Amino acid sequence: MKEIEKFLRENKPQVKDDPAFILEARRRMEQVEGIKAEVDRQRGRGRRALIVALVAGLALGMAASALAFFYPVNAVSVDEGLWQSFRLFLQEYKLLLIYPIAALAITLSLVLSRKTTVQ
Amino acid sequence: MTRERFIDEVRQQQEPLRRFLLALCGGNAPLADDIAQEALVRAYVASGSFLGLSKFSTWLFRIAYNCYIDHCRKSRPEETPLREAESVLAADGADRSFRYQQLYLALERLPEKERAAIALFYFEDRSIKEIASILQMPQGTVKYHLSLGRNHLKDML
Repeated sequence: MKEIEKFLRENKPQVKDDPAFILEARRRMEQVEGIKAEVDRQRGRGRRALIVALVAGLALGMAASALAFFYPVNAVSVDEGLWQSFRLFLQEYKLLLIYPIAALAITLSLVLSRKTTVQ
Repeated sequence: MTRERFIDEVRQQQEPLRRFLLALCGGNAPLADDIAQEALVRAYVASGSFLGLSKFSTWLFRIAYNCYIDHCRKSRPEETPLREAESVLAADGADRSFRYQQLYLALERLPEKERAAIALFYFEDRSIKEIASILQMPQGTVKYHLSLGRNHLKDML
């Protein structure tokens, strides 16, 4: 067993210091930094788009709610038939409908703004 | 860790790291250097998470070993690269070159863990504790793999 140990210690694989190896490593690290910077830029853009979408969605939702609240539909002046039924339905459930629509708009904005990729 | 500091550390570890991978790759120097470069990129990307709980070299060797394992999983086992060993080492003399060929052939036949344990213990003079940290196994298991590796090499050399 001692012979094997001696053989291994005396025959270490020889590797010489190679400046080209470090140069290649440096080049790859620069590439990594470029990718990191691009990812950070894309993330920043995504975050800004997210905030804009959130604010816009909230503002539009609030505006729609305010409009429905302060200017209610006059059901008497509406034509009869299917259209009237639809308008009555809207009048009855306008507040209930506005919230899910606003929520949907916000969700869609969030989802779409997150679809950013690094080329 | 800044890029320059990282490169300084790498410059110090270049030789041992490449020697370790060369032993793992059975003397295939281009493959060993490719894996070393990949390991450096991985290490650089993860350098923010290096907390200094272990030595930089131990951390780097662990990443390199994982890269080597990934490479083995991806690719089929290659033929023993006698030509590379011969061409790289012919300058050192025919006798030495022959011994290297013998050594690489024997190392190639060892299971990965035994090969890694042997390379770290005998070529890099690492302690059992460090080897355990690099190979992510208990110290007793490292000793077991070293013992098995030595016995296998004794039969082959």
